[in-house]
Amino acid sequence: MTSWEAGPTAYAGPTSLVPLSRAVPDPLRAAAPLSWLDVMDATIRTCSAHGRAEIANWLSRRRTRMLEPQLRVLVAGAARQGKSQLINAMINATVCGVPDHGGTTVPAVIRHADIPEAQLIRRDSPSADWTGDAGLRDRIPLAVDGLDRAITQAAATLPATAPLHADIGVPRTLLARGLVLIDTPPLTGLPGSEADAVAEARELTTGAGADLVLFTCETGRDLSDAELAVLADLSRLFPALLVVLTKADYSPDWRQHLARSREQLTHAGVPATVAAVSSSLRLHAVKAGDAGLNTESGFPDLILHLQRMLAAKPDQLAPAMAAVLSRTVLERLAKPLRAELTAEQAGDATEAVARLHATQRRLDDLRRCAQRWQNRLSDEVGDLMSDIEHDLRERTRAVLTEADEFFTTADPAKEWDEFEPWLRDAVEELTRASVTWLAERAQWMARKVADEFPADAGDVLPAQMLAVPDDFGGNAGGLDAPPVASFSPGQKLFIGLKGSYGGVIMFGLATSLAGMSLINPISIGGGALFGSKSIRDEGKALLKRRQAEARTIVQRHVDEIFVRLTKDARDTVRRIQRSLRDHFTAVTEDLQEAVMESLRSAKAAADREVAVREQRARGIQQELAQLSALNQQAQALRGGPSPAALAGSAAS
Amino acid sequence: MIDDEDLEQRVQRLLSQATHAYRGNRAAAGVLEEAATRLAEPLRVVVAGTPNSGKSTLVNALIGEDVAPAAPTDGPSAFTSYQDGPAPRAWWFAEDQRPHEVAMVRTTPGLRLSTGAAQRTASGATRRAVIEWPSRTLRRTRLIDTGRLEARDVFREADAVLYLTTHLDDADLSFLWAGRGLRGPSVFPVHTIVVLSRADATSGGRADAMLTARQLARRRRREPRVGTLCQDVIAVSPLVGHAARTLREEEFRVLAELAAWPRASLEPHLLSVDRFTAPGALPGVTAEQRDQLVRRLGLGGLRLAVTLTRTGCATRAALAEKLQEYSGLKDLQSAVAELFTTRRAALKARSALTVLDQLLRTEPAPGLGEQLAEIELLSADLHPFRELRLLSALRSGRVDLAPESAADARRLLGGTGTSVGERLGMPAEASTDDIYTAAYAAAERWRQESHRPDTSAAQRRAAAVVLRSCDMIIEWLAGTQVL
Repeated sequence: MTSWEAGPTAYAGPTSLVPLSRAVPDPLRAAAPLSWLDVMDATIRTCSAHGRAEIANWLSRRRTRMLEPQLRVLVAGAARQGKSQLINAMINATVCGVPDHGGTTVPAVIRHADIPEAQLIRRDSPSADWTGDAGLRDRIPLAVDGLDRAITQAAATLPATAPLHADIGVPRTLLARGLVLIDTPPLTGLPGSEADAVAEARELTTGAGADLVLFTCETGRDLSDAELAVLADLSRLFPALLVVLTKADYSPDWRQHLARSREQLTHAGVPATVAAVSSSLRLHAVKAGDAGLNTESGFPDLILHLQRMLAAKPDQLAPAMAAVLSRTVLERLAKPLRAELTAEQAGDATEAVARLHATQRRLDDLRRCAQRWQNRLSDEVGDLMSDIEHDLRERTRAVLTEADEFFTTADPAKEWDEFEPWLRDAVEELTRASVTWLAERAQWMARKVADEFPADAGDVLPAQMLAVPDDFGGNAGGLDAPPVASFSPGQKLFIGLKGSYGGVIMFGLATSLAGMSLINPISIGGGALFGSKSIRDEGKALLKRRQAEARTIVQRHVDEIFVRLTKDARDTVRRIQRSLRDHFTAVTEDLQEAVMESLRSAKAAADREVAVREQRARGIQQELAQLSALNQQAQALRGGPSPAALAGSAAS
Repeated sequence: MIDDEDLEQRVQRLLSQATHAYRGNRAAAGVLEEAATRLAEPLRVVVAGTPNSGKSTLVNALIGEDVAPAAPTDGPSAFTSYQDGPAPRAWWFAEDQRPHEVAMVRTTPGLRLSTGAAQRTASGATRRAVIEWPSRTLRRTRLIDTGRLEARDVFREADAVLYLTTHLDDADLSFLWAGRGLRGPSVFPVHTIVVLSRADATSGGRADAMLTARQLARRRRREPRVGTLCQDVIAVSPLVGHAARTLREEEFRVLAELAAWPRASLEPHLLSVDRFTAPGALPGVTAEQRDQLVRRLGLGGLRLAVTLTRTGCATRAALAEKLQEYSGLKDLQSAVAELFTTRRAALKARSALTVLDQLLRTEPAPGLGEQLAEIELLSADLHPFRELRLLSALRSGRVDLAPESAADARRLLGGTGTSVGERLGMPAEASTDDIYTAAYAAAERWRQESHRPDTSAAQRRAAAVVLRSCDMIIEWLAGTQVL
């Protein structure tokens, strides 16, 4: 069972079993690359600089481990995949539990010792380093015979959650040069859930301080997806992964399975060395001392490989490890930076830019609003003018109508004194109503115009409303009575006589026929009758003339008042218009000034921010470049012999 | 229940009442119709398990022929059902299509169904193949081989499950949990037997591998958390069992020839497959023959067969018999017979009641309260399930009675057959009086047993269950007397 083939992407380390001729050192190349320690230190410094102290700490631990002469091989895998049996067969001693008796429950570190010894060590915390010194109280000595049971019993006395591992020393030349084998309990997640298994594998390898991971899988089945995930994750932490297919003696098709596993690993992009071994053959071979059988078991090659790794640790494994670790760590550092850079470049609208845009929008709003309120003001003033004229006309007409009616019956000569105060009152009333109404309309108009301003401009109404001037409409003044045509007693007498003349004659002629004299009592009576009628008629005609005169006077008076009031109203409206225009123009200017100011400041802020972003992006790019340079240096550590050369020289 | 027919009738009555109540609801009607059809069918035993755990090999071993896996040409089917029939025939139920008969060809592993170039539609519907094959094993049960499936689908399909696994770890237990209901008739895990299917490879496949595997299985079945999920844990090597049931004369000749070699000189060749099949390793047997033999039996099975041949199995039949015994196949067959086949009525009732219970609770229909109550009553009163659980406990040793009491209890519980005669251990020609006497004697015996102060609580509980069985026997006898 000697099949040591590496997949196309397999680790470029010493998988070969044939010693390579030493490459002639190239002076040019030798000078350029950094030593792996420098790279590690640089990576650790970078971690610290990026504020990832926990990674730096972890790297420091790994760095320390790499300087140790030991090669710690962690044997991991799912349950019942022959992990413990592999170790037992390798060192030919029953130190690890096998599944028929419950399987491995406590990890065991198997190292060289001159006399067999074993102890159970209780660590301070689950994350504590296994290689750290344990105090006397934390060590429980174990009986070397029946180790399996001794471990179980000792572990049972401690709390179930206590972090434990067994430390077992066996006298074996195989281990004498510093090879340390670590048996582990099955990874819990396997074969089902990979997330658990990946986390557990990381924790185990970190805690145990492993230099090399040997992953076991029984022959006769494919690697499960979860196992591949675990291996893929481990390959980012360990350069030299070893996948060992156990129980190869039992499967007729183990060669196909080996090829298939290799294919699966290549497909998953996991660089690993794959081998098949048979623990039971090895145990038989050792028992029988059969070298041929031993070779068939595949173990000599495995052991040789491990010893090679041990020998190559300072020269090849450590640099490769540094390269892999640096790459993994640097990638992890670069990831958030890249994400940030993408976010920066995507240019998400930040607050400053948003504010700048908002301010610009406000300025535009204000400009539109200035136009609007001016239009509104002129419209309103036009309306007000026509309204007020119409209103005055209506009111004056009402007064006139009333006066006319009054004078159809009343005698101005007699009732003027009564009429004149009424007229004065009516005019005053009219003026007052107009003033009030005008003031209300003006106020309303101001509000309308103010409504045209954007809501966030605040209260833009003028502080004090423009009062209508006190002398609005002027003093109506009194109205003199119309000149009365006097009807004196003399005139009355004259008119009476003139009228009675006709009566006397008429009745005297009629009675003269009857033989009476022209002047008789009857004709005198008739004369008196006619005379008095003439006087009455004359009086009526006079009254009519007076009334007409009075009407004319009143009309003229009221017309005058109307004209004056109209004039005053127009003046007032104009004044109001002017003052409102002045006021709102001032308000608009103030607002625009304020918005311009905030626009300037927003623009400045946005500019500043863009500058900061650009600077940050440049900074990130610089950092990424540094990381990438460091990574290149790290990858240069892996230079050396090409993988193909190594894979080609694999033993058959 | 002593009277399986009575149980079946009660379940059937419930189903028909529910069908009446759900008329107009097409989905529910479909579910109920299927449940009613299933009730009349033979027992469905589904063989499920982790991939590569030997499901098809076990089906072959149980049938005794090379039929599984049945591979349709247009991709795998979810279920392959094997049932008894007068001649080998195959039907194919592709998604959304009418079932149609297809041609099949025997190939080296299993059958090949020419289902034709498929117009593969949405893979929501279940694809299944039904193989009719004349076989005595299939007369009372149907075996159903499964592909990669969710637990829910498996348990919905099954009346009983053989769950194959190599190690029985947490993932397997959570699979089994999915098959156990939380309420009603499905709480009794009477429908599952766990098969540890790599018995031949235990501890490196030494000759005593099977014994070790059997011990392991015994230990596992006593674990309380395993015991609450299945009826039994049995170590079986499907590979060896299948080879034993189909052992050919020629293979026996090769084995006999190998056994004739001196032990010491044969041993090194049996260390690994490579050594055994190496060209020119064992003169007299060609490398090809050896390769075929090791593929048929596996290395562990080969070692076992050689040892058995050497220690006295002189004929093919004798060797086959012994191998069947050692492979655990016999154990499995007897467990299937005792726990599944003779309990067809109870298991069928369990499936139907589970379906009905779920339907009544998820889609309540008016006027079905009475039926829910009846289901509760039936499942609370399902004495057959208690009998089965007690039988399982007796098998696994979770309850230990004195040896003669245990045998008596097993008989009375119907472990050897559920008819009254078989339970009482009476010959077929026994008179009615004898049967009466025996029944009353048994009842009296177990009444005392259930009140003995010097026994543990578990033992008294067990005795009470046996007593209940006795009472039901007497009740049944009284019933038939009246008739």
